[in-house]
Amino acid sequence: MTDLLSPQSNSQFKISREKILAFTLILPSLILVFLTYLYPAIFTFIISFAEYDIIHLKIKKFVQFKNFEFLISNYFFTSSVLRTIYFGFLICVCTTIFSFLIALLLNEKFIGKAFLRVMIVLPWAVPSVVSGVLWGQMFHADTGFLNALLYQIGVISGYKIWLADPLVALHVIAIAEIWKAIPFMTLFFLSGLQSLPSEVFEAASVDGANVFQRFSNILLPLMLPIAIPLFLIQFVLAMKSFDTIFVLTRGGPGGGTTTLNYFIYQEAFETFNLGRASAAAYVLLIITLAVVLIPTISRYLIKFFWGNK
Amino acid sequence: MKKNLILKNFFIYFFALIVFLIMFFPLYGLILTSIQPENIIRSRNLSFFPKEIIFTHFAEVLKPDHISNLYEGIRNSLIVSFLTSFLCIILAFPAAYSLARLNLPAKNIILGTLISIYFLPTILFVIPLFVILVSYQLDDTVFSLVVPYTAFTLPFVIWILKSFIDKLPVEVEEAAKIDGCSTLQLLIHIIFPLLRPGLIAAFIFAFILSWVEFLTPLIFTNNFKISTVALGLFRSTIDIKIGQQAAAAIITLIPVTILMIFFQQYITKVVLSGSDK
Repeated sequence: MTDLLSPQSNSQFKISREKILAFTLILPSLILVFLTYLYPAIFTFIISFAEYDIIHLKIKKFVQFKNFEFLISNYFFTSSVLRTIYFGFLICVCTTIFSFLIALLLNEKFIGKAFLRVMIVLPWAVPSVVSGVLWGQMFHADTGFLNALLYQIGVISGYKIWLADPLVALHVIAIAEIWKAIPFMTLFFLSGLQSLPSEVFEAASVDGANVFQRFSNILLPLMLPIAIPLFLIQFVLAMKSFDTIFVLTRGGPGGGTTTLNYFIYQEAFETFNLGRASAAAYVLLIITLAVVLIPTISRYLIKFFWGNK
Repeated sequence: MKKNLILKNFFIYFFALIVFLIMFFPLYGLILTSIQPENIIRSRNLSFFPKEIIFTHFAEVLKPDHISNLYEGIRNSLIVSFLTSFLCIILAFPAAYSLARLNLPAKNIILGTLISIYFLPTILFVIPLFVILVSYQLDDTVFSLVVPYTAFTLPFVIWILKSFIDKLPVEVEEAAKIDGCSTLQLLIHIIFPLLRPGLIAAFIFAFILSWVEFLTPLIFTNNFKISTVALGLFRSTIDIKIGQQAAAAIITLIPVTILMIFFQQYITKVVLSGSDK
């Protein structure tokens, strides 16, 4: 009887010891994450219902939902919310399409492929400030390459001040963001393409399916499980973008490139209205969650990155 | 059939050329601007091949008394990026092992939370961190950059290391355990050397992510005592000298580009390790 029990209790003891060990190993990381994410998130939540005194660094008074009411009735805020969603959607649609096409290209055999791959990955390592400077110079009214190029081939009759038009400026920023986002997504698409079984295509090709049929009936459905999480990730990341806007337009002209993230920055660190900024930050969080519900995204991610383990 | 192949090849090279031009032209423009005299940059005679190459813009921005103070920025950025990558590895290595191999309760919840956090709006955490740092007078220090960077990068580094550990053969560890190896010994003497490609990849990722970070130094170093390279570059945009601005941008770009080109295989490995199941 005791002989039968002892190995079991021994293994139970072992399991609990392993659990303690497992926790000890991950604890430092969890503490850091807790201190820099969870605690601030709670803090932001509390002051979103308050007026914060930036000089004495304490809560002046609680104002209930006044911060949120102010935001909803504020034209700059509501327009920046809509702009953020449009901006994020535009970027992730364009990035997904371009990256997929480039990945298809890199999946073929041709001379200079390794070189092209380095060139394509390069923009990822470009600091967004540099990419801001770079695209700023590209679209510069007096010295920009784009003006010179379009002028010389006769598309435009005079030099255009691209960044002075709010709508054009927003799309210039989107181009900069897409350019920077393409490398990473391309690599993921490429690895997805390479993991596809080639037999399927050969069989389809023997059965007489043409290029477009193979593309829409076989390739797209097979790539969708990879494309959806990438699309969602890019959507969320695009809504977070800040650096390019800051460098290129500072939210202008006339607030035309102020996304929600930039609006929060202005409220918090230019006018030092931390209560309102926090409320707006929570609106951004809610939008982010609405775009991709956290459970869905983490389920996708876990499935995507580690399989069903 | 042969005609088809030629047509296909034509399309491939044509498309490759277009992709190359679109992805590389902006960088080429930047290089072009950085090596030409200011009066040529500003003239309307566009030329995509430089007639006169000068390096005075580079010399100018690296002077210690230059407005953007790039020299100091590079030094600070190197310190901060190295510290961050180092700290990330130290924290993430045991955490990743625990997630990959040990019987950690609520493993999936922890993993999901860690990854999801990476996609939440950074500004949500930055506001209170700013208040905390200011109230303890820790803003404008290396500390105020390294700690947030580490926290922002950590989930990503844990993910990279975990997917590399997942790939290691379990048998080695089992054999070591039978030989009486403790978990700590196992981690240091067996997993650590085996994990070298993963560690290098994680280090590079953490380094690049810290090097390019902009929002954190912008907010946490408001008194300009500590400048990072990204901030230094940004301040050069206040200046109107376009050539110098381009030169500063290229100097900022060089370290990460070198890392990128030399360690491309590791970076590709990270992506590949995630997708094949």
